[in-house]
Amino acid sequence: MTVRFPAGAIGLLPSADALTVGDPRVVRFLGALSARLLAPSVARAHPELGSLGFFLRRAELARTAETLRKTDQHTVRRPRGLIFHVPPANVDTVFVYSWALSALAGNRNVVRLSRRSAGAADAVLAALNDALADADPVIARTQRMVAYGRDDAVTAELSAACDLRVLWGGDASVTELRRFPLSPLARDLTFPDRSSFAALSATGWLAAGDDARRTAADGYANDVYWFDQAACSSPRALYVTGTPADVKKALESFRRELADAVARRGWTVDAAMAVEKRVRAYGLAADGRATGVRFPSNELAWLRLADAGEPPRGWLGTGVVAVARLDALRDLAPLITPRDQTLSHFGFGAGELRGLVEAVPGRGLDRIVPFGQALSFAPVWDGHDLLEEFTTRTTIRG
Amino acid sequence: MSIDTLGVFRLTQPAKEERLLPEVAARLTAHRAGCPPYRRILDATGHGPDRDYRSLDALPWLPVRMFKTHALKSIPDEAVFKTLTSSGTTGEPSRIFLDQHAAAAQSRMLSRTMQTVLGPHRLPMLLVDTRAILADRRTFSARGAGVLGMMGFGRDHAWALDADGVPDHTTIEAFIRKNGGQPFLIFGFTFMVWQHLYELARDHGWDLGNGILVHSGGWKKLQDLAVSPAEFRERFTRDTGLTRIHNFYGMVEQIGTVFLEGPDGGGLYCPDFADVIIRDPRTWAVLPPGEPGLIELISTLPTSYPGNVLLTEDLGVIHGVDDGAWPGKRFEVIGRLPRAEARGCSDVYAVPAQGRAAR
Repeated sequence: MTVRFPAGAIGLLPSADALTVGDPRVVRFLGALSARLLAPSVARAHPELGSLGFFLRRAELARTAETLRKTDQHTVRRPRGLIFHVPPANVDTVFVYSWALSALAGNRNVVRLSRRSAGAADAVLAALNDALADADPVIARTQRMVAYGRDDAVTAELSAACDLRVLWGGDASVTELRRFPLSPLARDLTFPDRSSFAALSATGWLAAGDDARRTAADGYANDVYWFDQAACSSPRALYVTGTPADVKKALESFRRELADAVARRGWTVDAAMAVEKRVRAYGLAADGRATGVRFPSNELAWLRLADAGEPPRGWLGTGVVAVARLDALRDLAPLITPRDQTLSHFGFGAGELRGLVEAVPGRGLDRIVPFGQALSFAPVWDGHDLLEEFTTRTTIRG
Repeated sequence: MSIDTLGVFRLTQPAKEERLLPEVAARLTAHRAGCPPYRRILDATGHGPDRDYRSLDALPWLPVRMFKTHALKSIPDEAVFKTLTSSGTTGEPSRIFLDQHAAAAQSRMLSRTMQTVLGPHRLPMLLVDTRAILADRRTFSARGAGVLGMMGFGRDHAWALDADGVPDHTTIEAFIRKNGGQPFLIFGFTFMVWQHLYELARDHGWDLGNGILVHSGGWKKLQDLAVSPAEFRERFTRDTGLTRIHNFYGMVEQIGTVFLEGPDGGGLYCPDFADVIIRDPRTWAVLPPGEPGLIELISTLPTSYPGNVLLTEDLGVIHGVDDGAWPGKRFEVIGRLPRAEARGCSDVYAVPAQGRAAR
């Protein structure tokens, strides 16, 4: 077990110092972290840290802190206590979002880091430790980020000690970690495996101007390249709505725009990923689920799905667009399952989007966002308002 | 060397391509009819039934890992005579289905290939491995299968390592004393031959001059020790007198097809029923000699599963064409493509990537 933040700190559990909801000392620290993440050198090396830095802007945090503190006269909002975060091993930045919101809510935190963490995660840890120099010492006392391998004793100790356990990173991980008992007052907040899709209106696309198309294509390129298209929010299929003729026409130009967008970013895939994409695309073809498999280049693979009702929900590699046609967006509603999380979209009106959500039977679709924001983290995630989850309310009657 | 002793290494490149193209194309047509998942792949990737192929490199290749993710066979279930699996230590094993005809053909062609260097008679055989590898079914892996497959080419087998994997001087010495005066066969995995036999033979002054060493299993570990294939040969020759050294390369997904190092080193040669193509993994264009890329293997052997044209995950380079000890292309395997890893919401408790098993 290694404490990665504060670097060199000793001991697994943070001190019992009290923070307040929206504690100004936390706001200041997160602001200092944000400034470091937005430094051009960091953002160049790890574009996803730019979004994180943007998310943690001081003005934005101060506003959130203000909202948290504002309650009616009968309610006092209070930190929940000690939060144990288990982020996914391979999404380099989720741990920061989860931790930052919890710290902002005034909690003491222990974040479990994967021992395999590298790249962006290391850059974040460097920025965190660097920002600590100017921070109030209470930050170092109340916050811990620790790296350890499969050590049941540590997991058991943290599980028993915490008031809320936040489990990111997939069904198997959630099930595995639930073996460790919590104290009777504590509970789990879980983020299991999810899958996501995109929808493109052919008429909306054909009516859009060059700039709007370009922006949409840039956004979609982000969505299928960030996190190697392997995040829960990465679109696994693209539904194009409209008549067959319109869809064909829209797709022809969307293909070109998307290829240009990927080329503009200079994004490429390596040979291993190129082979991986072929193995998975050929697999869908072998199963009869994709009737067309095209690799105009290694960067983008285009799959034609045999059945709109049977989209891929597993990972297919980076830069894979599996397309199915629907007459209209509302036809997507019956295809949605509780597992489906995000729909990123282009070319639809607000009414159409709301109509879709209302037509989905039961759970399913927690987020509807424009192309390019599929991977943007938000304080409401998987339908949970994280700031609500990270706080409790005391009610007062006079 | 006379034509006869060349066995299955006889065809020049133009003659080979002329012979292989119609044969392999006919195989693909048969697999298309017999293996519906394969037909769906061909149809989805633009290889319809009427497509005409003018050269070997135009034939549609299948990523070799498809045999791990899918059960691909071109024969009815009741015709399956033997199911081969690759080492299952990393993820799913490959499953290769053979009917009686295919099983006989692969075994026959492997023999003919090996006889090119071993001659027609079975030779006394020193196995640089431990007998324990065959005993324990749980650890019976690619290594065990490889050893078992080769044992048939020898007789009076001696195991160079004891049950703990430690070299057994007495056994080796007794074997050499008894058989060293006539041709004998040494088989083992490249790294084990180097680690367990080379130094011992050198230090004991054993004369391996009549030996024929056949070895396989990749150079990765030797690269870590900075031992090149050329140095491997040179030092064996200099320090033990061993000159007949043949590395080979093959995989269960093309069982029976073995690419064998020629008598002068110089690279791996393709038997007459097989060929190799190196592709640029960016453009997928065929690369000329000297330029490293992904190895594509072509063989006429697979009749019961669609494994005739395979894109491997090995990196290689062609050193020359029709310019070596044997005709055709000669090439070298230089490494392995790493497995692409998703960075997404994978599990915290996911098993960390392990090293790849030797095929």
